[in-house]
Amino acid sequence: MGAVAVHGWTGRILCVDLTTRESRHEKIPAEFLQAYLGGRGLGVRLMRDWYRLDPFDPAMPLIFAVGPLCGTPAPTAARLSVVSRSPLTGTIYDCSAGGRFAWRLKAAGFDALVVTGKSATPVAIAITPSGTEIVDAGQLWGKTVHDAVTALAGRGSVAAIGPAGERGVLFANIMMGEGNSVGRGGLGAVMGAKGLKAVVANGDQPVVIADPERFGKARQDVMRLFRASPVIFGELGIGEYGTPALVDLMRQRRMAPTDNFRRTVFEGSGNYSGPAIRRDFHAKKDGCYGCPIQCKKSTPAGEHLPEYETVSHFGGLNGIASLASIVKSNTLCNELGMDTISAAATLSAWGEARGSFPDGEEVLRLLADIAFRQGDGELLSLGSRRVAEALGRPELSMSVKGLELPAYDPRGAYGMALAYCTSNRGGCHLRAYPISHEILRKPIATDRFSFSGKARIIAIAEDTNAAIDSLVACKFSFFGATLEEYAELLSATTGIGYSPQDLKEIGRRICLAERFYNCDNGFGVADDTLPERFFLEPGSSGEGVEIPPIDRARFDEELQKYYRIRGLTPEGMFADRDFLVKQP
Amino acid sequence: MFDQITAYTNKLVADRSALPGEIAIAAQDDVLIVDGNPALAQLAGDVLARLSCLGLVAARSSLPFADFLVARAPRKESFIIPRDTETRTFLHDIPFLRREEMGSDPASVIARLLGSRKGVVVEGVGIVASGALTIEQAYINYSSVFHSTFVKYLQDVLHDGFVLPGEAESFAAFRRDWLRPLSADGLAFRCGPLADPAVILHEITTVGRYTVERGLVDSFFGNISCRAGDVIYISQTAASLDALAGCIDPVPMDNSSTFGITASSELLAHRRIYEVSGAATILHGHPKFAVVMSMECEEVGCTVTDCWKECDRVRMLGDAPVVAGEIGAGGLAKRVPPVIAGPRRAVVYGHGVFTVGEKDFAEAFRAMVEVENWCREEYFRRVAERLKIGP
Ligand code: SF4
Ligand SMILES: [Zn+2]
Ligand SMILES: [Zn+2]
Repeated sequence: MGAVAVHGWTGRILCVDLTTRESRHEKIPAEFLQAYLGGRGLGVRLMRDWYRLDPFDPAMPLIFAVGPLCGTPAPTAARLSVVSRSPLTGTIYDCSAGGRFAWRLKAAGFDALVVTGKSATPVAIAITPSGTEIVDAGQLWGKTVHDAVTALAGRGSVAAIGPAGERGVLFANIMMGEGNSVGRGGLGAVMGAKGLKAVVANGDQPVVIADPERFGKARQDVMRLFRASPVIFGELGIGEYGTPALVDLMRQRRMAPTDNFRRTVFEGSGNYSGPAIRRDFHAKKDGCYGCPIQCKKSTPAGEHLPEYETVSHFGGLNGIASLASIVKSNTLCNELGMDTISAAATLSAWGEARGSFPDGEEVLRLLADIAFRQGDGELLSLGSRRVAEALGRPELSMSVKGLELPAYDPRGAYGMALAYCTSNRGGCHLRAYPISHEILRKPIATDRFSFSGKARIIAIAEDTNAAIDSLVACKFSFFGATLEEYAELLSATTGIGYSPQDLKEIGRRICLAERFYNCDNGFGVADDTLPERFFLEPGSSGEGVEIPPIDRARFDEELQKYYRIRGLTPEGMFADRDFLVKQP
Repeated sequence: MFDQITAYTNKLVADRSALPGEIAIAAQDDVLIVDGNPALAQLAGDVLARLSCLGLVAARSSLPFADFLVARAPRKESFIIPRDTETRTFLHDIPFLRREEMGSDPASVIARLLGSRKGVVVEGVGIVASGALTIEQAYINYSSVFHSTFVKYLQDVLHDGFVLPGEAESFAAFRRDWLRPLSADGLAFRCGPLADPAVILHEITTVGRYTVERGLVDSFFGNISCRAGDVIYISQTAASLDALAGCIDPVPMDNSSTFGITASSELLAHRRIYEVSGAATILHGHPKFAVVMSMECEEVGCTVTDCWKECDRVRMLGDAPVVAGEIGAGGLAKRVPPVIAGPRRAVVYGHGVFTVGEKDFAEAFRAMVEVENWCREEYFRRVAERLKIGP
């Protein structure tokens, strides 16, 4: 131990090489942690020497990184980020997930686990306070997520892949034991390519908070803001109904993607609204470990009920109005370890290409085929962009950089349109989360049909969220709280003064590093755009709401503003080739 | 963006929180733009360029209260803690910068303070407030600082009297010149019962505007609703009372749809009030004297320390009951409904006023005027009493 105690971080990385079956501990310099915090930021920094590798190259690291707030009672902070390069998009990739696993990993004494190499036979990594073991997982290979988690539960908290990850489905998830997913970009396939079925963590060291009194006060402030937020604890909010509380709202705003984004209103969406799910499935509160919001819902028997994106994409996007069938699709994806948004959107693109969307029964059959890469599933396992290209209809993939768009039609929210394109991991709503202000009016409302100011707003929000993903906290906290309170929690935990502005600057460093990696891997202005459909076809106007196509010239103008704000060239590139090496 | 800057400059003048001609607003898109009073505009631009924010307001407050609070604060203090609870929930505290602490580069000192908080009081200069996403947000944060320093100064005067030279004169001028009589006279209200949705939306928009135009409340803080059958028409969260067109959610009483997720954070309180009182309309705002007086508890030997949320007594301000309770899913939705049915009005500790109308908004509006006027008179009566007795 050094003379000065470091609070909030463990200062150590666990490196496991599956080729040599060796593990070792590395120290992380404190300056380095202070400059990138943890989670996404730490993971992105650790990728600096590896981001050019093919995602399935054995040397490609798969990084599980927790943050300084993990292990403390900071609301929504029992989370981690998993970082690597996405086989679906080819971009740098991170995804945040809640669950005990994050907590247990940190409690084993690590800020991050970096897995490299490739095992010839299936294995699992078991991390305990007394050491790390690589254990045989041959008998678990082929098992569903649920079965794998159950088999390993005795050893600690589990992160595992299902058959989809084992077989390299490009949108395979890594699933946390309680059902939270590391979703979207196919990091489950990266894990599968390493022959790694699961990681189990079982640490028990508490995190010491530098200033408990200050921490307690900041925590109270956060909770008060949660209670003051209609979206969080309001009687119609996500605490009550989960994210499907958005179904009715998106219907009313006429921006619920329907029939592969050909329309933006689905008549049957009332069947899977928040109140409908509560009524039909007796939904009860559930959620990430230690989170007071508990935005997830499950049945009395413990079956996880789908999130907003999932009900909408397995519902309206494929023209399916049966909630029972949607719930089954969701459960099947969770069991097989696949991303629901990409799976449903890929089926929808494929459905439009062949002239009919799959019905509920067919969806279930196709999902199984995808996970096992058989029949039509062989092609579908590659995601919508590759499917649409293979079918000669590339315009039907509703994706950006190959990542399927979630259930917010960009014609209904122009900040969202821009943010899908500037996101460093492809068409994702969570990077800048403009839905918060364009739709939910938090912290303030912006005009959803205007591009004015959106470039700046998106850049600021990307930075803010990169910091949040590095703490690691849940974005939903910020429907109520702000960086002010979380900077307090961080300062109290670490004993180092962080202001919200400091956090945004850290976030900016992270976003720019990601962008640099992407540019170096060949991404540029041509990739920062939406599918043609959104510039050419209107959505479903009505009830006094017009949903015209997006004005391309105005979109391009705002994108150029974004580049200028980011210090990029008009091609979206870095003028300074040495940008990266100048960063800490 | 220039149209926005003009709009919010005009708003600061209209609501009389800033001095005309001493207002500047800065905004950054891909370029930084500033407009307004040249010296303040220079400062606003220099501060904003250092922040990850879109907008910034720098203006001289129309009242010297914030400066007085700074001058009255003990030397070692560097921030003001608002006493009104809603402002405090969102601002936590308000840092200030004394004249002598500004140094050669005030912009960087102010930027550092704004790096942690939404608004700051700069002695001799005014209030500087930022907005992360919009100019409106900077305006709202300016308004919050103005509101909470107003409330705190009035309380401090009541408790501690005047301590600085010039304070008594300023206070007298404030009472004589700045304050205006409040009344509902000359306003046209539609007679209830209101049933047609189009009429309801129109009336809510009109009455919301009245509350601001008459100086009863600050535009951003408050909400308003009308019940017709099984539907509550309620203003949206983060909406301005004087700009409610398109910002009213029809929410079913039985929660059968969730699109009211964007409704005011006080939806639950409104719903419960309708359930227990049979009212048709509800008005909620933060009139300043009612906020001040709600915190003047004369209870002796009370052991409650967090009065604003823990106090379980019902005190009275004239004929208005006062209860405690946090915003939203906290306590006020529980404590207001039981006391409001009879008197048709209730005050929430350190927060604001709820009033209800049996049939339409006329009654609710008048009730709010009455509560605020009563509190205003009572406040000045107590100040006079205090000043007579001397410190
Ligand atoms: S709000 Fe929901 S997603 Fe976020 S941490 Fe809580 S339960 Fe998990
Ligand atoms: Zn209020
Ligand atoms: Zn009391």
